[in-house]
Amino acid sequence: MTAVRPHFDAVVHAPPRLQVCGLLAAVDDMDFATVRDQVGVSDSVLSKHVRQLEEAGYVTVRKSTRASRVRTNLALTPAGRAAFDAHVAELRRITGG
Amino acid sequence: MDATTAAAELAALDANRAALSERVVQPWWYDALLGLLIAGFISSYSSHNTWVILIALVVFLAGVRALIAVYRRITGLWVNGFRPGRTRRAIHVFFVVYAVVLGAAAAFEFLLDVRGAMVVGGVVLGIAVAVISHWWTRIYVAELRGER
Repeated sequence: MTAVRPHFDAVVHAPPRLQVCGLLAAVDDMDFATVRDQVGVSDSVLSKHVRQLEEAGYVTVRKSTRASRVRTNLALTPAGRAAFDAHVAELRRITGG
Repeated sequence: MDATTAAAELAALDANRAALSERVVQPWWYDALLGLLIAGFISSYSSHNTWVILIALVVFLAGVRALIAVYRRITGLWVNGFRPGRTRRAIHVFFVVYAVVLGAAAAFEFLLDVRGAMVVGGVVLGIAVAVISHWWTRIYVAELRGER
């Protein structure tokens, strides 16, 4: 296993974005509504943070229509996964863990 | 950032993953249906009829697709079974069981001409898949909860 180099990432750092990345890092993709419920924020707040993660190239947003309902799926990109892992490694370095 | 803030953020991440672990568990019938689909498809080889096998393959693929859709609907997420991590143990066991059981069943059915051997192999594989699928989820849940 390759050791992750600790790196503070300003995009990942904000608490809601850190939680979003933490959830997406554990899965392949997650429904927007599920992320919202797990993080405990409103649709608009989550949309804002997801847009920032998307602009940074850390998250992909995929919309699909099933049974005439639009579903939005979020997934971490390889760059997002690497940034999240490096940020968590930095948090562990700070705590000495 | 100070150590206290960093520790709080790590604790929040752990809590979120632990909460996620309660969502990812599939109902018991998911494993049972997956096992049934595998058993049905493998058993179809005992018919020695290409059309029956092709129809069984179509039913199997449609069934797996439906199961994935149901899992997504129930949990709101998808996790690749072949993901890196401790769950790979279950996948390795699955491949060994699959190769051994399928190899033995095929040898009996097609080399020794024992009719119905693929049905027995299919049932054994179906049960194995259901058990391994359940075991995979237990490993994944333990990983999310940070258990060693």
